[in-house]
Amino acid sequence: MVGGEVQVNFNALRAAVVIAAVYGHFLIFAQFAFVELLRGGGVHATGERLALGLMAVAGITGGFVAAWRGVGSGMLRIALGVAAVSAGMAPLVGGHAGFGMVAVASGAALGVATVSVSAMLRGWCGVGWVGLGTGSGYACCNLPWVFNQAPSVQAWVAAGFAVVGVLAVPRLRDWHDKNPLESLPWWGAVAMFAALVWLDSAAFFIIQHVADFKAGTWGEAWLWRNAVLHFVVAVAAGCWLARTGAKYVPVVAWVMLALAAVAVNAPASRSLAGWWYPAGVSLYSTALVAWPGWFAGADGTRPAAWRSAGLFAVAGWLASANGIGMAQSLNRVPITLVAIAGVVVIGVAVFSSKNNRRAFVAVGLVVLAAGFGMARDGKALVTSAAERGRRVYLAEGCIHCHSQYIRPGSQDEFLWGAASRVEDVRKGAPVLIGNRRQGPDLSTVGARRSAAWMRAHFLHPRQLVADSSMPSYAALFANGRGEDLIAYLQATGVGWVRGGYAEEWRPGKLAGEVDGAAGQRLFANLCIACHGAEGRGDGPLAGGLKKPPVNLVDGPFVWTAGSDRLESRVARVVKFGILGTDMAGHEVLTDTEILALTQRVLQFRAGQGLVR
Amino acid sequence: MAEADARPAPDGVALAARHALAWLVVGNAVGLWLALLLVWPELQAGEWTYGRWVPVHLNVQLYGWTSLPLVAWLFHIYEVHRSKVAAWAPAAVWAWTAALAIAALHWLNGHTSGKIFLDWRGGALWGFVAAMVMLWLVLALAWRERSAGWSVRRRTVSLLGVWVLATVPVAMVFAASPAVYPQVDATTGGPTGSSLLGSTLMVVTLMMLLPRAGAAAGSGRAGWGVWTYLVNCWLIFGVAEWIGGTHYQFHQIGSLLILLPWVWFVPWDWGAFQWTPGSRVWRVALFAWWGMLVLNGVTQYLPGLLDRLKFTQGLVAHSHLAMAGFTTSFCALLLVSVTGHTLGGRRSVAAWHGAVLVMIALLVAMGWREGGEYSWMVVAPGWRTAGLLLRAACGTVLLGVSVSWIKNWSLS
Repeated sequence: MVGGEVQVNFNALRAAVVIAAVYGHFLIFAQFAFVELLRGGGVHATGERLALGLMAVAGITGGFVAAWRGVGSGMLRIALGVAAVSAGMAPLVGGHAGFGMVAVASGAALGVATVSVSAMLRGWCGVGWVGLGTGSGYACCNLPWVFNQAPSVQAWVAAGFAVVGVLAVPRLRDWHDKNPLESLPWWGAVAMFAALVWLDSAAFFIIQHVADFKAGTWGEAWLWRNAVLHFVVAVAAGCWLARTGAKYVPVVAWVMLALAAVAVNAPASRSLAGWWYPAGVSLYSTALVAWPGWFAGADGTRPAAWRSAGLFAVAGWLASANGIGMAQSLNRVPITLVAIAGVVVIGVAVFSSKNNRRAFVAVGLVVLAAGFGMARDGKALVTSAAERGRRVYLAEGCIHCHSQYIRPGSQDEFLWGAASRVEDVRKGAPVLIGNRRQGPDLSTVGARRSAAWMRAHFLHPRQLVADSSMPSYAALFANGRGEDLIAYLQATGVGWVRGGYAEEWRPGKLAGEVDGAAGQRLFANLCIACHGAEGRGDGPLAGGLKKPPVNLVDGPFVWTAGSDRLESRVARVVKFGILGTDMAGHEVLTDTEILALTQRVLQFRAGQGLVR
Repeated sequence: MAEADARPAPDGVALAARHALAWLVVGNAVGLWLALLLVWPELQAGEWTYGRWVPVHLNVQLYGWTSLPLVAWLFHIYEVHRSKVAAWAPAAVWAWTAALAIAALHWLNGHTSGKIFLDWRGGALWGFVAAMVMLWLVLALAWRERSAGWSVRRRTVSLLGVWVLATVPVAMVFAASPAVYPQVDATTGGPTGSSLLGSTLMVVTLMMLLPRAGAAAGSGRAGWGVWTYLVNCWLIFGVAEWIGGTHYQFHQIGSLLILLPWVWFVPWDWGAFQWTPGSRVWRVALFAWWGMLVLNGVTQYLPGLLDRLKFTQGLVAHSHLAMAGFTTSFCALLLVSVTGHTLGGRRSVAAWHGAVLVMIALLVAMGWREGGEYSWMVVAPGWRTAGLLLRAACGTVLLGVSVSWIKNWSLS
């Protein structure tokens, strides 16, 4: 306030409106409505790719032509006018030629407009206003009234944005302050923003094309949230850029986008992606528009325009197409590629100063060497499922929780079989002895556990062992790795025979000392998944087994027939299981626990199944 | 012990120290995450399961927190900061960190050699070899430039060091090969006593070198007798390792017993040196952990005890005694000695050692119970759950302290 009057910077406001108009037009028309119009117009996939390719080529060309001719307000008005006409005509044209002309006109107009705006902005306003314009553009496109319209209406809305832009364009002004706020070199900016645009495009494609994802992040209920979030975060990004420079905003944007990309893959965290994604996009989009004027080291509109043309050609058009292409092929955003994008973004932020150039070279050489090593690694063809499964065992780090070594003279032999021989174990390359047990030794597990039991256990460990500290490995069964792992583990039991001691073993404790409550708890934790809560062999996993589990109430009790005391016969089955069937043993339980569980099982047989 | 003046930290040394502390924070965070996953396995994110995080924890602590202080020490020894390649020292540190970060991603994505502490294959191995070659080039070029002004003895020993360091990348490729495996104690499936002797003698050799190679001033008390004993220890290691055997055989138990004199030799030798101000707290801690490490290692190898503790938390306790207790004290002392900066106040140092001590006592107790009978594998008794939670609490303290150290380091 000066002398009691509010000083309004009209040029800055008009600049923000122009930014919003260009962003709004690009988002709602080029990214959405035009694609839908193509599809609605009967253009097949190849034609669609061709049209979008034409738009990209025209955009890149338009940007460089603007830089070459020298940007100005008149040129920008003409470009926005062409953008308005082409968007307005899009719903009316038909056929490949018509759509091709719209693609070329729109692309060229957007190329000229983006380069012109980003190069001239510094003459119109401070960097903080860029956030206001960017946020307004994104917010407008996310308003339910715009977002939910038919493609033809969206095209006309986009034309309207462009017309508003024509009216708002201020005249070209010289920069008052030509010193860059901070110099982020062109190679760094291109690499950084290309990584972010690529990640954004891939994540957005996935979100928009998987119905479940879209409902959780971009559904009807979330459009207002997204609009407000885009606006607030972009405005904050503008203020942040003015205070700290251009390096850290993209780094935080990557963190947001990476969290969104990770979260979107799991149903439980999907809703969080809807918060992180708009925030990340708004952050980097603001920095992207601000870079040519404030952070590229340019001292006027002409050099800023050249930097802008190069930046938008690679980071805007090419990276976007690449990200969408990858998402179309893989239908997901691989975590490794998210991490690579992070390495690029953080690497540029850290290494872009002159002092760190050598470090950049050194890190680049390490990355190249690692890439070379990755290309060489794992090319040997493995045809055996068991051998592939051994690799899965290794890759999943099973050795960190399970040993494969039965020590001579120890209780290992009683529980898991004959002692391992060093000569045999050392034949493995690598050796898989392991050095820690969070679970049992697996040297002979193939004989003691059936393939069906293993599968159920990998999928839902805590259904079979309620207190297990083993995580679910369900993901292994999406692409055959689970079956390979089972084949490997099953192979460990080939030729294995349990010693005769198991047929003569009896619990070393009297039944009278058994804790009934412990038996019920153990049965609930270890048995009901197969045998059911009432012991009738109808547990939730029973259907996945080769043969139905024994009905502990009505029998038949084939496996516990014999002349020995019934309690001992049942206890042996509880302890060691039944080889060759899906009945797993509970080798590690103490005699007291085996007896308690045996008593619980015998209660079913005695018609006391409902005892609690 | 008298203490010499502090010296300013050159760039490469300072950066190596900062990166080492950053990796300590990462390693501790992953360790805490692992402790939590044992109690709540459902917390895992995607396919990054407990088994994939373990090599990240182990290797980040070894190749990040433990190795980068040694890199700083090498820069200091070869006077890289005074050479024309000084500007390349930070680049070599960044290359090391990049190689370790790439490797961490490799391990998380299931690319592992299965060799604990030598988990290098494919892209991770090549990246790490490239980083080691860059570091060697910096050291070799610095030696070439700086050694002309050194004494004949220093020039010769440091040249020998350059040649020994040249073999490290090759040795790493060889040792990381899945086809190579050391002697196995047939009664436990673990390392022999002589293998443990070899790795501990490497530590003893480093400790004897530390004050003599730039970390302190003056001279030590060790004479020909001590050095001859060290050479003999290495010879005994060679013979015992060649013979192999089990922890029931005298020559393997004896291999570890010959370490006992070093519990006294090292502090006795170090007592005559002049050390950097602020390093005393770490020297005292180091000798306390060193004594416990040797005594614990020898004791746990004895028949009966090893049979009960093998594959249990009891041996995890020994690993934490070695890494969180002894090695951390060694690295901290090294950093304080070559940079003159302190890691943190006495309170943070006391919190660190206290948490490590509680964790080790806890793990030994849990290991003893685990080795008695195995039903804890399926019934998760209360003592084990409580123990794991207490372990996670100790891990939280360690993480908090390491964060305070790097914060303090950045501000100093």
